[in-house]
Formats: sequence, structure tokens, C-alpha cells
Amino acid sequence: MTSLQFHRFNPATDTSTAIANGVNCPKPPSTLRLLAKVSLSVPETVARHHAHPVGPNQCCSVVIQAIDAPVSAVWPVVRRFDNPQAYKHFVKSCHVVAAAGGGEDGIRVGALREVRVVSGLPAVSSTERLEILDDERHVMSFSVVGGDHRLRNYRSVTTLHGDGNGGTVVIESYVVDVPPGNTKEETCVFVDTIVRCNLQSLAQIAET
Amino acid sequence: MAGICCGVVGEGDTPAPLEPTTRPSRRRSLDILPLKYIADMAVPPSDGSRKRPKLDLRDRDNVVQNCDESTGHKVVKKEAKVEIHDNISETKNVTVADASEVEDSPKFGVTSVCGRRRDMEDSVSVRPSFTQGFHYFGVFDGHGCSHVATMCKERLHEIVNEEIDSARENLEWKLTMENGFARMDDEVNRRSQSNQTFTCRCELQTPHCDAVGSTAVVAIVTPDKLVVSNCGDSRAVLCRKGVAIPLSSDHKPDRPDELLRVQSKGGRVIYWDGPRVLGVLAMSRAIGDNYLKPYVISEPEVTVTERTEEDECLILASDGLWDVVSNETACGVVRMCLKAQKPPSPPGSPGSDVAADGSDRACSDASILLTKLALARHSSDNVSVVVVDLRRDQRQSSNSN
Repeated sequence: MTSLQFHRFNPATDTSTAIANGVNCPKPPSTLRLLAKVSLSVPETVARHHAHPVGPNQCCSVVIQAIDAPVSAVWPVVRRFDNPQAYKHFVKSCHVVAAAGGGEDGIRVGALREVRVVSGLPAVSSTERLEILDDERHVMSFSVVGGDHRLRNYRSVTTLHGDGNGGTVVIESYVVDVPPGNTKEETCVFVDTIVRCNLQSLAQIAET
Repeated sequence: MAGICCGVVGEGDTPAPLEPTTRPSRRRSLDILPLKYIADMAVPPSDGSRKRPKLDLRDRDNVVQNCDESTGHKVVKKEAKVEIHDNISETKNVTVADASEVEDSPKFGVTSVCGRRRDMEDSVSVRPSFTQGFHYFGVFDGHGCSHVATMCKERLHEIVNEEIDSARENLEWKLTMENGFARMDDEVNRRSQSNQTFTCRCELQTPHCDAVGSTAVVAIVTPDKLVVSNCGDSRAVLCRKGVAIPLSSDHKPDRPDELLRVQSKGGRVIYWDGPRVLGVLAMSRAIGDNYLKPYVISEPEVTVTERTEEDECLILASDGLWDVVSNETACGVVRMCLKAQKPPSPPGSPGSDVAADGSDRACSDASILLTKLALARHSSDNVSVVVVDLRRDQRQSSNSN
């Protein structure tokens, strides 16, 4: 039950899927349709985390990144709710303001962090809540509950999967309100750009 | 203090202030300039030249050189006037001598402050006589972090110098500056391979950081030309006979030709707190920002302007100034400061050296005044200002006032 089955990961598929993700904003009801394009077996217990309910004025998207490093090297970076700036270079600083007690590093579901954003971006700060931290299945999720930015009701899920060749496939999906004045497509272009940049720097860190 | 700021704003708004009315006000506001407007990287006003500490020794030498060369230059011109009345052939000789003479460094003033932003990410580079009698001035407004702007400050003039040397006799400014900017951008993006290190936030995190960039507006002042190269939304403005002439054009993503260029490469300009490339970056050209290539490019727009006797000053500044102060207002402020500069004793007397220093102080005062004006108008960004005095004969200007 806990064991995972893999198909061989096809880089070309990832590339085409990633490009498609960058251009298109899929319509509701869910991101599972996108995941189906990936020639990768995603266990039901993990795939359901990417099944975001999407409201009428919301959009969703998936960004996928292949990393030439094992899951054991990537996961320790992704799971650090208290240190997102290790790979998210749009984060200038981060302070956990409510750790919710317990856990090996004092952080568990319900913890809150205050993130300050670097200059030049259309955002100043973000207050984020840890929703999922599953060290067994390598699932991490947070939602945005406040801050100075235009992304309301943002929730993302990041999952890691071995690609069968010693590498990792990172899948990050999200759902967010479309801000007034923008279209769903524009919102996805903006968020995909940020997420893709984050995952590319995650790859650079894990591969060195 | 608020009164001072209001007074400054008032002066800036007045198209043609009456001399008797504004003189006392100007003097009063200049005399009591608060030190806190000057960041650590600027020298306090009591030093007079207000050059940054890093350049102290070099600039001190240059000040001495300026005085010597300036005096010599004036003497030569004086002789030229006398010769004209005698005969034509001697006038020609003087002209040839003038042409071969290296012009002394222009007077300048620099101010660079953090302002209301939490971090200082602007850089300024002033390199008088950086090559063969050319003078280099650059303003770099960083975003995401400070290290790209810092690299530009430290390296771009060296790279441009190499490009000028390799061009030899066939110096073509547009190509030379484009090559220089391209090499600077390459260096930024290959930063992890270099030996240089910077004590900035992202350096401590990881050697790779593609999401940092900088504007770059560079002016090269030669004896007969002003060469301005711009990439991003900092700006260079020439004040000629009281008229503000932009020598650069801001690279905003919604500038029609920039919008078309971005779209032609498959990018998008999305209005997200203003027009932004992919909704992220508020400028369409920058040094660095590798993650946004090929939409955000580092190719500068280059203008070459012939200098004239009517040129008064050149202003280079980041958008922390230009977002809240118009070109015309900025020129008016600087013009006012340059006019206020007068030698304390008759021309030709030993006091002429003080006049030379006074010129320097006038440029520094102008840059400080512009910075104060920007902050008074609630600029929310770092503010960096360089003012270059382009007048050719200080004594004649003084006499005409």
C-alpha cells in the first residue's frame, strides 16, 4: 500500500507539458486532467491532493519540473516551511509567527509564516499557513491567508516523485482567485512564472 | 522641516522665479540641509565636494588637477581673444592647440539615498577621465537584490573602456556601447563562475540567482559629444539654454515598440500594479533578470548628442526621482543652483580657485536638492542623482549672470 509504482519518465513529455502549462490556463473542475498528461503514475493517495476544488472566479494550473537528483536530496529543501528562501528567490525573509507546537522542528500543520518579498515585484508581503506536511508521501501544501499582494485564496500543493532513474519529478499545482481587472489566463501566466522560477532554482540547488 | 520641503516644492513648481525673491529662500534651505538625507555612501556636505568615500583620494587629486587645468584653459582662451584682433594665421594656430588640448574633467555632484524603501539597491559610478579624455557617469537601480547594480558600478566602465580601446580609430558609439552592455549582462549571468563575491542576501543563500537585475543609464562626456546609453527606466536629461531635452527613453513594458518586441518573442505584458512583463517586472529591459529572457533584454538604446555652448547641465537619475519630478522641474532646480554659484572675489584674483570649488559645491547642492524634492513628493523608492556641469567657461558664465 505504501509502495509506489513508477513508469519511466519521458523528458519530452515533461517539456511539452510544462510548455502547455505555461501557455494555457485549464478550465475547471480540476487539475487532475493535467496530471493525466504526465506519463507518470501518481498514486491515488497523492493525486487527490492536486484535485483542487475551483470556484467560478478562480483559476488553477500545474507546473512540473524534472530534477537530476534523488527525492532524498530534494525533499529536505522543499519541506522547510520556515526557510522558503532557500530556493524561492522572490522571498527576502521569512519568520514563523505561530508554530502550532509539536513536530520535530517545532512546526506542524496550522503553523503561520510571514514572508517578505524582494523588491521589483508587485507584492510586499504574504502571510501563509501550512496545510499539509507529509514526510512519508513527500507532500507539502500551504495557503495564503493575508499580506500585501493581489493573490487572494491562493492554495498550492507540491509533491515529489522518483522518476525511476534516480531523479525527481516535482509537481506543483495551485488554485487562486482571479484579481479584479485581470483574466484567468493572465493570472496563470503571472503565477506560473513565479512558480517555474522557484522550481528551476530548486533544481539548481539540488543538483549541485 | 516640512516648511523647508514645501518651500523646495514651491521653487520647483515656479517656472520663472524672481531672482530677488528666490535667492534668500534658496540660500536658507541650502544652508540648513539636514544630514540624514545623505546615505552612508555619500560624503557629508561639510566636505564640499560630497564625493563618495571610496573615490576620495582619486577625486581629491582630480580636484587639484581640475584647478590647474581649468586655470590653464582659461588663460589659453583669454590669449585666443587677444590673438583674434592681431591676425588670422595666429588664430588658426590657437584653434589647433585648443583642439589637441584635453578638456578638464567636468564638475559634478552625486547624491544617492535609500529613501522610503527598506533596502538600498541603487549604485552610482563616476569615473572622470576614465579613458582618453572621456568622462563616465552611470546610475544603476537594482531590483530583487543589490549585487547586479553593484557589479555594474564596479565593472561596466572597465568593460566599456576595453570596447573603446578595441574600436581604435573606428569608434562607433552605438556598437561599442551595445557590446559593453552585452558583456556586462553575460558577466552577471555567469556570476557563479567568477571569483567575485558580494555580501548581499542572496549570495549567502545560493550561488545561483536569476531573479535579480538592474537598470543602467550611462553617460560618456567627450570634448564634443554626449553619449548616453540606457537600459531600463532610469533616465538622462540634458538642460540646454533652459530647455529640458531627454537623452534617453524609459523602457516601460507598455511603450508601444517595447510591447510589440516582447509580444513578438512570445512574451506578454500584463497589467499587475502597472504594466509588467509576464505580470512580474515593471521594465522591459534590464541587466540580469535571466529568468525573463528573451522578453527582458540588456540591449541599450544609445543617443549621441553634439555638445553646444548653450549646454548647461546633464542629469542622470533613477526612477525614484523621475517618477515624481518632471524633466523640466529638475532642469529648473539645477539651473537655479548653478546660477547661484558666483566667485566670492573678482575674476582673475586668487579667489578663482574657490570659484572652481564653488562649481563642485553647486552640482552637489543641486543633486541634494533634487533628492530632497523627490522625497518631499513622497517618492517610495531609492533615489540616485548625478548632476554634471556642462558649461564650458565658468568665468564667462559668471560674468554673464
